[in-house]
Parts: sequence; C-alpha cells; structure tokens
Amino acid sequence: MNAEPTFEEARKELERIVAQLESGRADLEQAEALWERGEELYRICLAKLDSAQGKIEELPREG
Amino acid sequence: MKVEPLLYGDRKVYTVSAFNRGVGSWLARLPTVWVEGEVTELRRQAGWQSVFFTLKDLEDGTCLPVSMPRRGFDGLRLELADGDRVHVYGRAELYGARGVFQLRALSIEPLGLGDVLAGLERLKRKLAAEGLFAPARKRPLPGFPRRIGLLTGHEAAAKRDFLTAVAARFPAASVVVAETYVQGPLAAEGIAATLQRLCAQPGVDVLVLARGGGSFEDLLPFSDERVVRAVASCPVPVVSAVGHEQDTPLCDLAADARASTPTAAARLVVPDERELRERLQSLKAALARAPLLLVERKRAGLEGIAGRLRALSPKATLRRGYAIVRTDNGIVRSAPTLERDKRVDVELAEGAFGARVEEISE
Repeated sequence: MNAEPTFEEARKELERIVAQLESGRADLEQAEALWERGEELYRICLAKLDSAQGKIEELPREG
Repeated sequence: MKVEPLLYGDRKVYTVSAFNRGVGSWLARLPTVWVEGEVTELRRQAGWQSVFFTLKDLEDGTCLPVSMPRRGFDGLRLELADGDRVHVYGRAELYGARGVFQLRALSIEPLGLGDVLAGLERLKRKLAAEGLFAPARKRPLPGFPRRIGLLTGHEAAAKRDFLTAVAARFPAASVVVAETYVQGPLAAEGIAATLQRLCAQPGVDVLVLARGGGSFEDLLPFSDERVVRAVASCPVPVVSAVGHEQDTPLCDLAADARASTPTAAARLVVPDERELRERLQSLKAALARAPLLLVERKRAGLEGIAGRLRALSPKATLRRGYAIVRTDNGIVRSAPTLERDKRVDVELAEGAFGARVEEISE
C-alpha cells in the first residue's frame, strides 16, 4: 500500500478482508498476508479514532 | 334560506335576526374572490377562534373588515403586520350577531408573492434543465469527516443544535463555523460567499447549511440563484438543513443531502462513535478467528478429497468381495492364459494366499 488510507478506506478494506477470510476462498499463503493487512488496518482505524481531537473553530468575518 | 316575515295587517315585518339571516344567506351566494388592500388594526389573541383585521383600499382608504379562522391563518406562517399589502382570497359574509358585513378570508398572500412564486418556478425549471438537481450529481457524504464546515446565522439556535448533536454522537469531530446573514437583503450574497470561504478551508470535506424555520420570505435567500449555484458547484458534498420539513428551498434540491433539522444533519455527517468502536471490535474478533477457521476449512476440504481418492483405490473394490489373481506375468484377466497346476497368488481385502489352478473354463 502506498499512502496511508483514510479511516473510511481503511475500514472498508478491513471489512472486505474479514469477509474474504470468512468465506474460506483465500489461499493459505494469501491468507497470511491478508490477515496481517487486516491487523494493520484495524490498528490504523483505532489510532485514527483515538487521535481525533474535537475542535470547534469560528471562521472570522470577511474583511 | 327562506325567511318568514310577521304580518301586521298588510305589513310584512322581519325580526332583526331574520333580516340578518336573510341578508347573510343572500351574501353567501356571492363568488369567492381576491381582494387587494393594506392590513390595519390586526387583532389576534390566544383564545380567539379567528384573527381579525381591517383591509384598507390602497388608493382611497375605503375599509373592509376581514376575519380568518385562526388555524388557517397560523398555517400560512405569515408574519403579518399592520401596513402590509396583501391579496386576500375570500367571500362576503354577514356576521349576524352584530349585523356587520365582512370578508371571510380563506387565504392571504403578501402582495407580489405571486410574482415571487412564478419567478422561483422559472428559476427552478432553468436550473433543473441545466442538470443542477440531477440525482447523478449527488455525492456520498464522507463516513468519517476530517473537518465539517458549518454555515449558520448569527447567534443561531441552528448552530447550537447542530454542535450539540455532533458532540453527543462523535465528540472528536472538528467543525469550522462561519456565520453570515441568513435572511434579508444581504443574505443571498453572504451565504454564497461564505460557502466558498468554507470550502477553501484546509481539510473541510463536508459542508452543512443550517437555518431554523422561518416565514416564506425569510427562507427566500436559500432559493436565490447565487446560493443554489454555490451549493451545486461546491467541491465537497453539502447537506442542506434549512427551514422545516415542509419547506423546500431550491438549495435543498442542489445539495447532496437534505436534513429536516440541524440535529438530523448532525446524524448524517458524523458517525456514532460508540457504534463505530463496536463494529471495529467485532471486525477485530472476526480477524482473530479467521486463521483457525481457514485452516479448519482447508482441512475439511482436504479430507473430502482424501475420501474420494480412497474410494477409487483397489482396496475399496476388494472390500466389496472381489479378489485380485496374479501370476509371475502379472494380473490375470483371462482364464485361458492359465495352465493347470499353475501357481497363482490371490489377494483379498484382508491378506492373500497362494493356490493352484484345478480347472479352466472358457
């Protein structure tokens, strides 16, 4: 994977990987890579959730 | 209605009540019409069933009392005040108890509203023809917005409602708020410009237009062509939460999603953090189960194949009662190839034995 995925991308990919693993269609060799990727995506999602800092800002008036 | 007179000799005499009823029923046959005038002496009170005012001719000041059932009047959501010029749709009526002739109003429109409505309809058709309202243009909202741009009025309840709902669902959301005029002559320009400024803020990936309910006129800026075009051309998805459920300003049609209230808009733009965490946990659990599940599945698959393989082996045939007969030349398939007293080896499902040929039949 190139750039770090957004939360939505990471979550969608994670859902896909879990579905693929649960379907039993993955090769054993492929499964290990999928599983590792899944774990990584889970950590990315959690980190993004945990690190999000709520911030309310006011945009100053024009001029 | 037939009104019966009293007879004093030859003289027909009507009671006041009968007279008023007679005139009233005669007036009731007149058609329902539009009457134009200026509102004066508007009277409404909490307990009253009707709202009263006097309609004054715009040129010579001639007066006409008007009454309208309170429910119908409130339903119009007009912020009517003395001095307003209006068109009243209604019919002549006699208020019998006082013998007062009045106009019974069915509907009231601020003067010029017809033109405004026709203009809106023209604008709507024009923008629709350009494809601004096409369903294909609607973009999905980000499921996990990085930064939300909120446009509201100054000191607006809409702003408070939205921020409260966001904080309850997803405390970690980032919001950048821009206030502007949301009604009056400066509103359309202000809303369009503020939308563009919000879009330009770094990280903003969804916009919310939040404005509470108001009269038809109050909400008009949200149907202004500049605002509708600004919504349509916004580089990020826009959620329109303007007015009440029954209002459909044109910006609603151009927006990517529509919410009936600012609170509903918050539900559209931020996920429920608790649900999200629960979902992540269940994905994590599924992931933890997955390797074992997969190996089990592969093992079951392998055993199935092994079973089929075993069924095809000679052993399986022998178990059904067959035997294999061999000589030095290999498996015997035909009796004439044998000779009497020839030694053969016989293999059974369990074990084997040697034998000599006694008889040969063809």
